[in-house]
Amino acid sequence: MAIVKLHFMMAGKAPTLDAILLPMAKMTREDVLKLAKLARLNLTDSELDEFAREFTDILQYVEQLQTVDVEGLDPTNQVTGLTNVMRPDEVIDYGYEPAELLKNVPTVQDNQLKVKRMIA
Amino acid sequence: MIDAKTRDAYTVTVGIECHVQLKTKTKLFSGADNDAREAAPNTLVNHIDFGLPGALPVLNEEAVRLASKAAFALETRPQKFSKFDRKHYFYPDLPMGYQITQFDEPIIVGGQVEIIVDGQAKTIGITRAHLEADAGKSSHPDGKDYSLVDLNRAGTPLLEIVSEPDMHSAAEAKAYARELYIRMKYADVSYANLYYGNMRFDVNVSVSKTSELGTRSETKNLNSFRSVEKAVEYEVNRQIELLEKGETIVQETRGWHDAKQKTFSQRSKEEAHDYRYMPDPDIPPIVLDEAYIAAVADDMPMLPNDYRDIFRKIGLDAKVAEDILAVPETAKRVARIFDMAGAEHARRVAFWLLQPQDEEVEATDDSADSKGSDEQLVALSDMVASNKLSSTAAKEVLTELLKTGDDPAKIAESKNLLQVSDEGEIAKIVEEVLGANAKAAEDVRNGEMKAIGFLVGQVMKASKGKANPALAQQLIKKQLGL
Repeated sequence: MAIVKLHFMMAGKAPTLDAILLPMAKMTREDVLKLAKLARLNLTDSELDEFAREFTDILQYVEQLQTVDVEGLDPTNQVTGLTNVMRPDEVIDYGYEPAELLKNVPTVQDNQLKVKRMIA
Repeated sequence: MIDAKTRDAYTVTVGIECHVQLKTKTKLFSGADNDAREAAPNTLVNHIDFGLPGALPVLNEEAVRLASKAAFALETRPQKFSKFDRKHYFYPDLPMGYQITQFDEPIIVGGQVEIIVDGQAKTIGITRAHLEADAGKSSHPDGKDYSLVDLNRAGTPLLEIVSEPDMHSAAEAKAYARELYIRMKYADVSYANLYYGNMRFDVNVSVSKTSELGTRSETKNLNSFRSVEKAVEYEVNRQIELLEKGETIVQETRGWHDAKQKTFSQRSKEEAHDYRYMPDPDIPPIVLDEAYIAAVADDMPMLPNDYRDIFRKIGLDAKVAEDILAVPETAKRVARIFDMAGAEHARRVAFWLLQPQDEEVEATDDSADSKGSDEQLVALSDMVASNKLSSTAAKEVLTELLKTGDDPAKIAESKNLLQVSDEGEIAKIVEEVLGANAKAAEDVRNGEMKAIGFLVGQVMKASKGKANPALAQQLIKKQLGL
């Protein structure tokens, strides 16, 4: 939920004071904890409080969009107006050797990505 | 164990999600080679599959075309508008941290397939089917504290077909899985090789004593029709046992342990439930116009139901028809011969080429490299129809024909199998047989016509199968004065 709104925020214009004072969106400590869990982030207690406060500020900043009259407008998923951007089904040599790509991986074993065991 | 009466008090409800790997040359969003079957780990990869910052995925037009064909195979049409979304979750086999999939506007909406279970036809609704990129493949070496990830499969185009919860038994679930398989195979959208995981099934199972649906479990990654059936059976029993003990069902994802024939808990669903879908800004929407959709429709190969119609006209029963259908090369050949030479020849060839199929396993294509043209098979069938060959001898010729592709008349001749229709020659053999089987001859003379079959058999044996049986019978009657 919050992520989508964050994207809007980054593209938004400076808010008016009225808009900031109007809404009452709030992100709780539990919301942050859940989001952190989904993102596999370990946050300290003080970080949880800090992010809850900051996210609430951000949401309230973004929430001013709710005041815009969108009656009769279709939701905009993309702004380019492009459709059907496709490529033919042919192998492309991008010029990256597997070994080069694997350099980005913290731990490699037998040309595979070595990760913490996923299942018991 | 629960008894049948307890079990019957519950309604079983099954819905199935099936992931079909599309047979493209390259991946859904990158130009990497899509054939990972024999490739060494992490060799069919690039910056897009690795999810490196700044990489721009670009949609493969062939995946869109194949998904459009699949729509027709599911008895509907592709959507004119569909779009891609990001589904976020963190797992080591998903380098980008999200899967590119279709959430609210998939390429296929609706559709249906028919199944037959215990002679009863039933329609299973298709909710939707969407395009999405596959994740990487992980392995878990025994006794180690790590897993290994190979990204060759990351980005392979999948069509996820979601059924309505229209199935109510393990047998129906299996029949549905098989029907999807055979349709995808004939529509030529997937190699549909179950061994290589080209089709994987997730079964959602719930049981309930009321009209309200019970809490469901989802058993993931089944790769055979048998495991679909067994997993549903196991889940039904497990859930009823729990409910009978007064316990509740947890909504969760389960795995299938094939060796133990059991499902096991993997993770509770709530944990991963919030996928934070958002429209993917990298991939502009797909817009298909009428001309495109009409061209795909024109390009559709014959589908299983088209073949079933032909097999019905030939007079094959449903079981035989399904066995023929299981081997596409044979089905196509029988249909061609029906076109070329009519029902009688097609029917004979169908039974010649029929290989009783174990319906648990997927079709094999071993007839693909057999020799012998359609014309030669019709010629062989003609020799039987005109009594030049016995049906037993025809099978011997057939074996040779499929092996060598030689002319069937020449094969029959060189193997000395052509039927003898020379009256004098057969009359001689009949005489000998009647002499050696006086008792049977007497029986026939006294009106016990059953014994005549035995005598004909003896004539056939003495002639090494070459005597024309109809003629032999005539001559037996004649010599016995009947």
